[in-house]
Amino acid sequence: MKRTASLTLGQGHKPVALAVFLLIQSVAAVFFVGDATSDLMADAPGPHSGFELLVAVALMLGVVFGAYALRQTLLRMRVQDTALAAASGALAEVIGAQFTQWGLTPAERDVGLFALKGLDVAEIAELRGAAQGTVRAQLTHIYAKAGVSGRAQFAAVFVEDLLGGIVPFDPQRAAADRLLASAASSR
Amino acid sequence: MARAAAVAQATPPTLWDPLVRISHWGIAFVVIANGVFTNGGSATHVWIGWVGMALLLMRLVWGVIGRREARFSAFPPNPVAAVRHLADLLTGRPRDYASHNPAGAMMVYALWASLALVIGTGLVMTGGISPMKLSEQEATLNEGDWSTLAPAGTEAENGEQGEGGGSWVKEVHSVAANLMLVLAVLHVAGVVVESRAMRRNLVAPMIAGSRNRPGS
Repeated sequence: MKRTASLTLGQGHKPVALAVFLLIQSVAAVFFVGDATSDLMADAPGPHSGFELLVAVALMLGVVFGAYALRQTLLRMRVQDTALAAASGALAEVIGAQFTQWGLTPAERDVGLFALKGLDVAEIAELRGAAQGTVRAQLTHIYAKAGVSGRAQFAAVFVEDLLGGIVPFDPQRAAADRLLASAASSR
Repeated sequence: MARAAAVAQATPPTLWDPLVRISHWGIAFVVIANGVFTNGGSATHVWIGWVGMALLLMRLVWGVIGRREARFSAFPPNPVAAVRHLADLLTGRPRDYASHNPAGAMMVYALWASLALVIGTGLVMTGGISPMKLSEQEATLNEGDWSTLAPAGTEAENGEQGEGGGSWVKEVHSVAANLMLVLAVLHVAGVVVESRAMRRNLVAPMIAGSRNRPGS
């Protein structure tokens, strides 16, 4: 949870810098255009005016494109936020479904979730107001129901779901593993 | 999923985008500085006024091409809805809006309109001279060279009008500036009342914002 917050905060600096730059640029554009205009009002347009016009147009285009870039950045950040929320929501669903399939009790579901979040036995015991022995026994039950040897494998079950399509693996070996796992869980 | 998105749309942003935030506080600074502290007609006053003009122009551009909540389409001026919102505020908890609430939106447009009026009349009073030129003129004046005061043509006329004091432009400038300050006070009062009634900090999203909505 904390990690996500700091991640979004870190991304938040970029649009702030962009916005500051954009506002400074627009102040510069307005001042320059104003100065060039009062020059024009004072004297007849000369060779200098053409150059000033070019700079003015460049500044204003810069402002417009800067605004567009800022908008795109903000939009992309929002899409990423949504995707992250969707992904974490989807993962929670996957975990819940798997827990149900394993037939975990409500208490075991809680403990299992804490274990997945990386809390150790002492922390889980404190959070749940239970003895450490109880938590250890619950974890053992969870691992047995899931057919895994320990916490690392338990977490790996869900990491594998996340990485499924990406990681190259030997399908035959994976099928053999799955057979072994299902044999272990049915036993 | 679709329902969650709809609910998320109907709540105001927990954090305004950086351009809205910076231009908001920049304009607040400009209004207070020029309304209360600087001497009208001084080069400093004009410099700050021009910065305000740039901030306002940028914000108006952002109102067309900016992020959804920052666009004018997210908070159209609607006096009827504004009155209804204020009535809701008296009788209980009004509903949420995706951007400014209707009363807040009316305040935004009123502030922008009076700001534009102040800037426009200010430009007429100075004859549209850029602050850089004004600073140069002041510098030469301080050196004892008064010739810049009487250049031929329109600027001299403008100068006479400005110093005459009876000019309607000057009158409009000061009335609009005072109106601006009154509106600013009302704006702050509105934020306080709304924050109380909605039990939500409306100021935080305009500063650094808390991305985590309280209570969720």
